[in-house]
Amino acid sequence: MNVLGSNELSENVINRNLCTGCGACIDLCPYFKSYRGKTAMLFSCALPQGRCFAYCPRLEVDLDYLSEKYFERPYNSDPLGFYKSIVTSRAGKKFTGNNFQSGGTVSAIMYFALEKGYVDGAVLTGQESILPIPRIVMNPEDVLSCTLSRYTAAPTLSAVNRAIEEGLSRIGIVSTPCQTLSTAMLRANPLGEKDFTDPVGLVVGIFCTWALDFRVFEPFIASRVDINTITKIDIPPPPAEAMEIYTNNGNKIQIPLEEIRNLVPDTCSYCMDMTSEFSDISVGVLEGDPGKNTLIIRTERGKMIVDEAAREGYLIVDDMPEINLEHLKWAAGNKKKKALLKARKNGMVNNRGKDKISYIRLNNETLEEIIV
Amino acid sequence: MSYLTDNQNKDYLLMGNEAIARGALEGAVSVASGYPGTPSSEIIEALSSVAKERNLYVEWSINEKVALEVAAAASFAGLRAMCVMKQNGVNVASDFLLHLASSGTRGGMILVACDDPGALSSVNEGESRTFARLVEIPLLEPGDFQEAKDITKWAFELSEEIRNLVMIRSVTRMSHASGNVRYGQLPDTHARANFRFDGPLSDPETGPVVSMIVGASELQHGPQQEKIKKAAEIFEDCPFNTYEGPEKPELLIITSSACNLYTREAISLLDVKDRVGILKLATTWPLPPKLMKRHLSCTDRILVVEEVLPILEENIKILAAEMAHEIGPKTFYGKNAGNIPSIGELNPDIVASALSSILDVRYETGSERFAEEAMLLVETMAPVRGLTMCPGCPHRASLWSIHNALEMDGRKGFVCGDIGCYVAGVFPGGFNTVKTLHSMGSGSGIASGFGKFKQFGMDQPVVAVCGDSTFFHAAMPALANAIHHKSPFTLMILDNRGAAMTGFQPHPGTPVNAMGEETPSLDIAEICRAMGAKVEIRDPFDLEETQQTIHHLIEHQEGTKVLILRQACALSPERKDKPKYKMEVDEEVCLGENCGCNRFCTRIFACPGLLWDEEKGVSKINDIICVGCGVCADICPAGAIKREEVV
Repeated sequence: MNVLGSNELSENVINRNLCTGCGACIDLCPYFKSYRGKTAMLFSCALPQGRCFAYCPRLEVDLDYLSEKYFERPYNSDPLGFYKSIVTSRAGKKFTGNNFQSGGTVSAIMYFALEKGYVDGAVLTGQESILPIPRIVMNPEDVLSCTLSRYTAAPTLSAVNRAIEEGLSRIGIVSTPCQTLSTAMLRANPLGEKDFTDPVGLVVGIFCTWALDFRVFEPFIASRVDINTITKIDIPPPPAEAMEIYTNNGNKIQIPLEEIRNLVPDTCSYCMDMTSEFSDISVGVLEGDPGKNTLIIRTERGKMIVDEAAREGYLIVDDMPEINLEHLKWAAGNKKKKALLKARKNGMVNNRGKDKISYIRLNNETLEEIIV
Repeated sequence: MSYLTDNQNKDYLLMGNEAIARGALEGAVSVASGYPGTPSSEIIEALSSVAKERNLYVEWSINEKVALEVAAAASFAGLRAMCVMKQNGVNVASDFLLHLASSGTRGGMILVACDDPGALSSVNEGESRTFARLVEIPLLEPGDFQEAKDITKWAFELSEEIRNLVMIRSVTRMSHASGNVRYGQLPDTHARANFRFDGPLSDPETGPVVSMIVGASELQHGPQQEKIKKAAEIFEDCPFNTYEGPEKPELLIITSSACNLYTREAISLLDVKDRVGILKLATTWPLPPKLMKRHLSCTDRILVVEEVLPILEENIKILAAEMAHEIGPKTFYGKNAGNIPSIGELNPDIVASALSSILDVRYETGSERFAEEAMLLVETMAPVRGLTMCPGCPHRASLWSIHNALEMDGRKGFVCGDIGCYVAGVFPGGFNTVKTLHSMGSGSGIASGFGKFKQFGMDQPVVAVCGDSTFFHAAMPALANAIHHKSPFTLMILDNRGAAMTGFQPHPGTPVNAMGEETPSLDIAEICRAMGAKVEIRDPFDLEETQQTIHHLIEHQEGTKVLILRQACALSPERKDKPKYKMEVDEEVCLGENCGCNRFCTRIFACPGLLWDEEKGVSKINDIICVGCGVCADICPAGAIKREEVV
């Protein structure tokens, strides 16, 4: 893999506003910091190669290499990536949380994985007011304070870096697609470190079509509602077309999605992945049913944990209606195509030659299939 | 008893500034005021050390303009007074200076301005000499250390004779080098002050002292010009203008100040004393025309040796042009002809090189590879060090937090700086944080402007920094301006408890004055609050809290805010030789050059108290210069730098 250093990262990602703020480069060193959702390089470390560059999901993402590593074949054009099965799901009775998003599948699975020791710690995203805060959670009960969606970019992966530093070896991660991609890159030992062991126990990817810049979102929301009264933010599945803000005085404020879409940062339009393709399992809303999730099972480990969680009453799974699957594939495929066309147009795909940095690398056959 | 007040007629080795102070004592000075600034500060320090013994009133004023006003009051009350400042200070004082030169003085009054050719300790090499011509007062320049004393004493007499202020100009090498000075007698110290104002406006001794009478320049400007004419007459016989050399020199060198010493050395180096003569002038403005005519008549070739601008050269050329029909045409060498540079300090080598080409004599500069060899020695033996702050300097910690907060904020915020040790903030040693740097207090005024450009689409956070002494000197009006105009920026006052850069002179915020007496200290925070600013006070050594506070202050750009970062200078009596922590690097934990560090402490934070151990590939503490502030323990990403409290 083509791994360079912090200067190239800063130049090609941060300075070009392509940074997703995922946190992959944070807490590895004193040079990168995240503040209110934005990543900054304070100084140049001047090293020719760094983990910051190696983990960045906006630099040298070799989709074939990663597909071979995790799914034993080159990347293909399936809009949802590689998977074993797709079902619907919701939290079962053994999961005690109540204030969660949609069916509560993500929280229930991570709760279960912690309780059973499949993971020795979970990297989740909590919040202070509406600012997302990365958290390392060691007890299942602590999952209950990190059950909500934020809709803003969060440097969650900084907590993965901290968890590794603290010696965790089976980390559970709940991640957006860019974070899932970065995690896959981290697990591939891109710098060829000698005594490397995969520190990750379970990756629960979540569906994402965009994540807002906190610094844009905060004043936008603050002009409509007192931020300190917000208890939950939700975007119910289609056909609803609104963001819903719940407050502690029982009010619900609706903001048309059209207004929100105007705030979406440009970097999200480069994202090819709607469903966190390099996870063990991926979870999203279920169109037409706000009380359930769509659950994509991708790996053996993912299947094993889902099956066991269902068996033990932490999760309730059901068949996926065909019509929903079609819509999901159409939406994911559309995002993938648009992103790849845009990246290619801007010279960010499959660049060859010395010093040519790419965002994405993938085999030509798949590329052609996606952009048809 | 100080050696400065010995009353024996013998030689003493004095620094030029001490010689000026001794001259003031021999000249019966009663009041001395000034604002600290290199290379001038030792004059007021010397006088304040003997203030009680010699019945003087000495003060470090809030700024140079006020200093000049305080000294002028002494003169108006019939006392002999001296006011001392560096060149940049004359700029500050210049508004009052013009008025004072116009109103005239009573008791003998001297303005001592110390210039810094080459800007060794300044941000520019401005010329104070131009002010003498600008405001029409006599200018004296001592050519050696004895003269530094003698001319000062003489200047009081001159001032009283012409009833106006006299300016003495020194330069770094005159003020800070030392030489033998033969003492004269110290006078009695029974001066009495009384301000007379009952006489008519037109009477310079008994009437009110006012500057210009509106619309009637003939009443005051006319008499003022008579004073300068009188000075020129007196200068014809000034004992400090000397000539040395053949009666008809091949080349006449006209010089003054420290250049006199360089020129003498250059003549000796080239062994050309039979060919050239030196006219060393102490009275460089106005030039005495008869004296000049006499010397200009003796030769056709003239070299003017002076530092920085060709002020002496141009004044001589004007006289030579006027006298051309009597003295004939001359060939001038100097700055305009390209023999002497118009920037930087001179030295014997530069003067010798100029003489060598003018006189066509060979000048041996030693080995031809000397420069190359010297550079090689420097590179191999001297540590590579950029302009930075001292070990344990609170400014490093302050600039660190400011830098990191602005970078993390990510809106291209910047710092407007001014004069103080924190000028290092322009360079990597201060993390390239300071983006404008001009005169004292200017960062605050510039920030007051930047803050107002939101209507033109400017949304960068604006920060200004100033020191505690600078706050009183010049930042207060800028802050008032900002608050009044609701300019949203944050003024960070780097309060290190004194005018640290120039040697801990007191200021209105310190509880003591120049003479060591207790004084009320003005509370900077309360002043800012009274002005209407939101004020926070933090210890910059607490990096975390300081940075959080800065984040908070710059996040919303509303109103003028003040953050006082208070921590005494590492060299202050409060902290010097009193380390708070014993520092140590755990070599096992230090990450060294690996990803995750790459010498963060020695390469980026770069406190000189931290060293890089090339052999072991880890950092270590330089125990000799570390002052134990403990801050580096908080920046080490691996926690390898340990601090242990010194009990």
